[in-house]
Amino acid sequence: MDKGMSEIVKGISKIVFPFIILFGIALVLYGHINPGGGFSGGVVLAGGFVLLLLAFGKDYVFKVFPPKIARLIDSLGALGFLCIAVLGFTGGHFFYNFLNKGRLFHLWSGGTMVFANIAIGMKICSALFVGISVLSMARLEKKENGPIYRQSGEE
Amino acid sequence: MNLIVMPVVIYLGSAFVIPLLFRKNEELAGKFTCICTFLAFVISILIGINVFSQGRFISFAGGWENPVGIALMVDPLSALFLIVCNFITFFILLYSDTYMKKYTGRIYFNSLFMLMLAGMNGVLISMDIWNIFVFFEIASISSFILVAFGLKAEELEASLKYTIMGFLASTMILFGMAMIYGLTGTLNLPDIAFALSKLPPSHLWFTVALLLSGYILKMALVPFHTWLPDAHSMAPAPVSAILSSLFIKIIGFYLVIRVSLNLFGDIYQIKTALIVLGVVSMILGGIMAYGQQNIKRLFAYSTISQIGYCAIGIGIGGYLGYLGAIMHFIGHAFSKSLLFLDIGAIEYMTGTTDSNDLEGINEQMPFTTLFSNMGMFGISGIPPLGNFWSKLIIILAAVKAGYFGVALLSVFVAVLTLGYFLKLLRNVYYNKPKTKEEKKEAPLGLLVPMATLSFMVLFTGVFLIPSIRKTVLDKTVGVMENFSYKSLHISETDESILLEE
Amino acid sequence: MVIYLLVALIFFIGLYGIVAKKNIIKIIIGANIVGYAVNLLFIVMGYQWGGMAPVLTEKTKPDEFYKLAVDPLPQALVLTSIVIDLAFLAFLSALAIRLYEKYETFDIEKMRRLKG
Repeated sequence: MDKGMSEIVKGISKIVFPFIILFGIALVLYGHINPGGGFSGGVVLAGGFVLLLLAFGKDYVFKVFPPKIARLIDSLGALGFLCIAVLGFTGGHFFYNFLNKGRLFHLWSGGTMVFANIAIGMKICSALFVGISVLSMARLEKKENGPIYRQSGEE
Repeated sequence: MNLIVMPVVIYLGSAFVIPLLFRKNEELAGKFTCICTFLAFVISILIGINVFSQGRFISFAGGWENPVGIALMVDPLSALFLIVCNFITFFILLYSDTYMKKYTGRIYFNSLFMLMLAGMNGVLISMDIWNIFVFFEIASISSFILVAFGLKAEELEASLKYTIMGFLASTMILFGMAMIYGLTGTLNLPDIAFALSKLPPSHLWFTVALLLSGYILKMALVPFHTWLPDAHSMAPAPVSAILSSLFIKIIGFYLVIRVSLNLFGDIYQIKTALIVLGVVSMILGGIMAYGQQNIKRLFAYSTISQIGYCAIGIGIGGYLGYLGAIMHFIGHAFSKSLLFLDIGAIEYMTGTTDSNDLEGINEQMPFTTLFSNMGMFGISGIPPLGNFWSKLIIILAAVKAGYFGVALLSVFVAVLTLGYFLKLLRNVYYNKPKTKEEKKEAPLGLLVPMATLSFMVLFTGVFLIPSIRKTVLDKTVGVMENFSYKSLHISETDESILLEE
Repeated sequence: MVIYLLVALIFFIGLYGIVAKKNIIKIIIGANIVGYAVNLLFIVMGYQWGGMAPVLTEKTKPDEFYKLAVDPLPQALVLTSIVIDLAFLAFLSALAIRLYEKYETFDIEKMRRLKG
């Protein structure tokens, strides 16, 4: 069907993709010290996968990151966030920060916020990727009355 | 008591567990949602017993105290809305277990329904203006997707209109919240009320106009009503039932009470605006319902008319006005959801909702006709069913406050309401069918929820017995009459002024 | 004062796009622009003249931080608001694709089957 873009685009996106993923993970993990956090880190991670989708075509990307696994990570991320909130009851209040808060201004100083950021980052990355991949599965078929959009593939 | 967050946690958890566990067999997803709703109903009854006997309950999320934390509060008004909401949705989900067999993709239906319920319950328990906005958006976006669920051409068009107008409402509310944050510097509702009471009222008109126009668009008063007939008539039957009976009330009516009565205080201009808009909605809804062929569209215009009654009840004020508005909410919630479930059962068996094509329903589906009768007479106000008491109380409140024109128009519109329901009964239910086709009665899974809801329609008058009225309704009306968020404000500087004097 | 007028200008450009255009894609873009204007208003409300970013590190002095830091609360609120607008955009785009499948046009004047 579609084989993606030209060779120059494919080559450069192969080089740039790991750095985008690394930048996204750094944004998510350092969310309680530097600006960033779950939302923006998740969007950058999804942007990396969408770059691969645009450059290589959907057949290749669905072998690397299939939508079934993306939906699984989506649900697990949201459930993980809810579990962190409910486990706060052990400290006495809903959503209480019950882990040990280490030294100030170092990486382990957020308590439960680090895990909440990771859960949100996973959820936003997979949710955006599933959304854009569903939109990219619409195909134009030629019929006698004129062109009609149909959806091919699963979903 | 840490139970107040439990309904929201249950609904959010089940919304994300359903796509994980039930992708293989979709039948079990419907039963799982019924179990979750029943659990939430039991918890809300426990919360209600605690609140009605001991007064309101405030807690903070995460243990962070007053200027910093997100406040959660349940008081008698919220507890009443919680109990009614969870009760009706349990029966609607029991009904949709059988009804949605004709649709595909049922797993997404259940998951989105749980998200919408999480949003509605979250609005009821929070006392922080940003928290209310986030849950409002969760519920709104889920309802946009649920209206378009059947993927026919008319449903998509209806959902498009509803989405664009709902987006404008959210933008107006966000604009109003930006103005409030700029004026007061805090997001906690008691602190906002305290800070706003010190400003002269001329600073506030722009903010009040923005916030109220956003919430009134979701409440569907005229002239903000144009999305409602399309959206409620084209959605699948359980979605129509919950949108028309609970969603408009919680997202529109409850938030208008909180923002205009408890936050801004008793301002005469807001009440007059609500009375004027309420009277116009009443009349317009009643007149437009006469010309409709689609039965669901007729019920949607009837909803606009009854919401006008509730708006008049708040606008008049005083003990009688607020009592009438709350009882009208309870009666209308039960009877309108019953009516939409009835039309869904007729559509399930015959395949159409057009009143030109249906005739002689009474001979083939006698039980459905009986429940429809109770719903229709409940709304139009035949004593001793449903809304008779609430309409009487609203008319008495109008006469006592001196609004004689409003009282006369209320009586006139009550007669109009009975008129179009009688026309519907004669043309669709009780005439002889021309062709002898065998239509069977609706299956048992559809009949049991309708029977329970019609039983509840019979007994809404029971709220006026003095012992029940003192424990439940007096406290609810007391929240609307005497309570302002200012009284919950904790300040540190006032004590030093008292000590000096 | 000038900056509030500019924010209002962006809001009205987006509102013009929603109200006066007939192509559904242009309506969606107009809705996006209205969302940007309201988020911008939120951030502008929290600005402090000569301000610095509200990030605490080991080397900041507390007095200078309290006088000069920009208000961080509206920035957290705007993050949530951007995600909500993103959900609207995703749903409206999927709706536009399905509408093209049923009505075979993007023109909203031809989608008029519901009347009365």
